[in-house]
Amino acid sequence: MEGWRVIPLRIDDPFCSMAIDEAILKLNSEGKSPNTLRFWRWQPSAVSLGYFQSMDREVDLQAADKYGVAVVRRLSGGGAVFHDYNGELTYSLVCRQDELPRDIMESFRVICGGLINGFERLGLKACFAPLNDVEVGGKKISGSAQTRKWGSVLQHGTILVDPNIRLMFELLKVSPAKISDKFIASVYERVTSLTRELNKRPSFDEVRDAMCAGFADSLGVRFEEGNLTAEEIKLAQELKAKYASSEWLNKR
Amino acid sequence: MYYGEFKAPKGVIKVSLALTEGVISEVRISGDFFMYPEEALDELERMLVGVKASRAELSALIEQFYEQRHIQTPMLTPDCFVEAIMTAVGR
Repeated sequence: MEGWRVIPLRIDDPFCSMAIDEAILKLNSEGKSPNTLRFWRWQPSAVSLGYFQSMDREVDLQAADKYGVAVVRRLSGGGAVFHDYNGELTYSLVCRQDELPRDIMESFRVICGGLINGFERLGLKACFAPLNDVEVGGKKISGSAQTRKWGSVLQHGTILVDPNIRLMFELLKVSPAKISDKFIASVYERVTSLTRELNKRPSFDEVRDAMCAGFADSLGVRFEEGNLTAEEIKLAQELKAKYASSEWLNKR
Repeated sequence: MYYGEFKAPKGVIKVSLALTEGVISEVRISGDFFMYPEEALDELERMLVGVKASRAELSALIEQFYEQRHIQTPMLTPDCFVEAIMTAVGR
């Protein structure tokens, strides 16, 4: 495994990010895009829904509107994630299926190994929590989702830098009665962040660099910095309309 | 419409459905699970229409769906979907 591409840290519109994911996945499966690691921040902040989730059931759309938070549906399954522009970094890895174990849990374990190696570089001992989480001290610090299409794999996920937990629960439909101080305190028992664990807030570049080195080390690959190709940008522009359509958003 | 949720070891399956004389006439499954290939869930919903909402019939149908389509749902079994549907119909 060598000759992978890493894309410089981006800031993208939520629909655009989802379209870029699919464009790289599709073109990778056709042999037109290299295996690729990408990091980005979401602007505006957004809730991403798993492919099988119902938007109405999971997201408080009034709250999303009030805070200017977008809602997107991912190509991958799994749960809803709040991507906070100020407190969260997202990674996305696309590669050929034959680079990874066939078994889904094992492939999550392999890719999450890159994150774990990255957290170690930042000074934290992290471990894989099946199926799709990475934990520090028994608390979730990263969650991932994966899809496989056309012979390639897309795995993307969240790296919690310093998320606004209270806002997260205002956006996600937990029964409003539950969003008490006690409930928020219980979330702090289960979810943590880089800022909380390190007692200081690392920069997004610092986190990105550590994770990139972690993936290179753990996957045994060498990354070359490269931007999106003209073909990827063109396909992403075409796909963006799908992600922004109410048909896609209200799919379930 | 009937609605029910089943909390699996990993993920929650949410089912809303309509029954006509004990037979499923409409069904929508959602949740935070993983299913490969993803498009197969649409197919499962179509397969469920016209099926009697009984544990035995659902179980046979969903097992068959897994086998025919080579479905993978990490940390979820076919039974989780049966349970979710039975919870929705209140049994």
